[in-house]
Amino acid sequence: MSLFAFMGTLEIGLVYGLVAIGVYLTFRVLDFPDLTVDGSFTLGAAVAASMIVTGFNPYLATGCAALAGAMAGMCTAWLNLRFNILHLLASILTMTALYTINLRIMGKPNVALIMEPTVLSPFEALGIPAMYLKVIFVGICALLFGLLIAFFLQTQYGLAMRATGANKRMAQANGIVIKEKIYAGLALSNALVAVAGALFAQTNGFADSTMGIGTIVVGLAAVIVGESLIGTRNMWLIVFSCIIGSLLYRLAVSMALNADFLGFTASDLNLITAALVAIALVLPQLRREWKARQAAREAQS
Amino acid sequence: MIRCENLRVTFNPGLPTEKKALRGVDLVIPEGEFVTVIGSNGAGKSTLLNAIAGDIPASGGTILFGDKDVTKLPATGRTRDVARVFQDPLAGTCGNMTVEENMALAYGRVERGNLSFALNDRLREIFRTQLKRLNLGLENRLDAEMGLLSGGQRQSISLLMSALQPSKILLLDEHTAALDPKTAALVMDITSQIVAEKKLTVMMVTHSMRQALDYGTRTLMLHEGKVIFDLSGEERRQYQVKDLLALFAKARGDGEELDDDKLLLGS
Repeated sequence: MSLFAFMGTLEIGLVYGLVAIGVYLTFRVLDFPDLTVDGSFTLGAAVAASMIVTGFNPYLATGCAALAGAMAGMCTAWLNLRFNILHLLASILTMTALYTINLRIMGKPNVALIMEPTVLSPFEALGIPAMYLKVIFVGICALLFGLLIAFFLQTQYGLAMRATGANKRMAQANGIVIKEKIYAGLALSNALVAVAGALFAQTNGFADSTMGIGTIVVGLAAVIVGESLIGTRNMWLIVFSCIIGSLLYRLAVSMALNADFLGFTASDLNLITAALVAIALVLPQLRREWKARQAAREAQS
Repeated sequence: MIRCENLRVTFNPGLPTEKKALRGVDLVIPEGEFVTVIGSNGAGKSTLLNAIAGDIPASGGTILFGDKDVTKLPATGRTRDVARVFQDPLAGTCGNMTVEENMALAYGRVERGNLSFALNDRLREIFRTQLKRLNLGLENRLDAEMGLLSGGQRQSISLLMSALQPSKILLLDEHTAALDPKTAALVMDITSQIVAEKKLTVMMVTHSMRQALDYGTRTLMLHEGKVIFDLSGEERRQYQVKDLLALFAKARGDGEELDDDKLLLGS
């Protein structure tokens, strides 16, 4: 793998670290499997790219992308909480609707940002080569947002959100309004994912209507890889493990694609993703079974 | 303190599965009274507690706490007044959170600050002091995951959690039924301590006749969604378990079967 490819992998891994934190909030904290992210990743990219092309400040554009993502998340929460549509289905509906909305926002299937100013523009004067600058910038973003979320999850509000996902009845008995926590959690999660989309568009120079496909699987893969490597209850470490998981997942994918003897091409990405996630899911279970069998054997002898 | 007027609860109204769980309960429980509630399965004991807590909306009638009409308030709106402990030891705590995090959640029951750290040294000290009362060594395991503790330990902590914030009403729904006899005795012991200390108004549902007479100052018997017997004062002190059993038999109209009913005889 060339240095350039390696830096590219790190950059994408860090951007998807934000997605992983968002997915962690819904899947693990709220126990609400939310597929909206496939749409809100593109939504963030579409909003940011369209606004930048129109001449808005890139930071304002990224902020608006976050707001748009939050609204998408609230939409899913509303379908689920107000009309009792199954969470998974509610999120699929929002995701499907977002596909059209994203096309409408961009007005065409993709928007190029090659010559436009981006969130990176103010730092270009520092003279750091672009490939390092991108990695440093998205790395700082991932770390900053990660720390904020880790702090949030340890506040009283964050604790109440975790209780909502863990034990609704107990949460209510302790005065926690669970609907509000679900709205807030989905908004926060999708805002993070939309920011990731906006950053992706600006570091890669384009927004495309299909760029969000598979976001949920990648995010989930990162969460699971992180969990199986750094199993912990410490919130700082958990958020950190989401980012590490995302980086490792990206590295594994790019190594699989780069290993000539395997003969994979870029179009095999989804198969590799599915296989990696399956392995990450199955390994802990196999390890348990193996340990149980060993214990049984020892008990016999 | 608690006043129910013609309280009715109907499940699945208008459907073939319609069930009238409470058929007009009139009840006045003055402040500081400890009421034990008994009745056979399906009598409406848990429904009555859940209606008072706000988990189940009333289909008719009113519920008042003092002068405050709370009939329309959801459960989360009543937590200033009501604390509760569930029958299932797993229901009252979050298994994937630590002991101190669970206690911090309960600490926020009355007033939930928002974006400040949920835990700090001052709170940990309060939690440690509380946990010492249990004599289970839990004061040294504040950062242990709740899911790793036994049912008895979790239920004891649930009980402490219910008393972390001042409340006026404590609702106990067979909170010792799922515990082994020794742990059940411990939990009952702490219950009595907390109730005496905080001068709470208590409703305790129980299946044990012994418990129903040994604890509290008043005993209610529910049958088919109504209060059929209300015992207190001198009369209650004269009562024996066998007298209660006789009442049960009368209510159900099948005295002979009673001897086999382990739930009723359980002490």
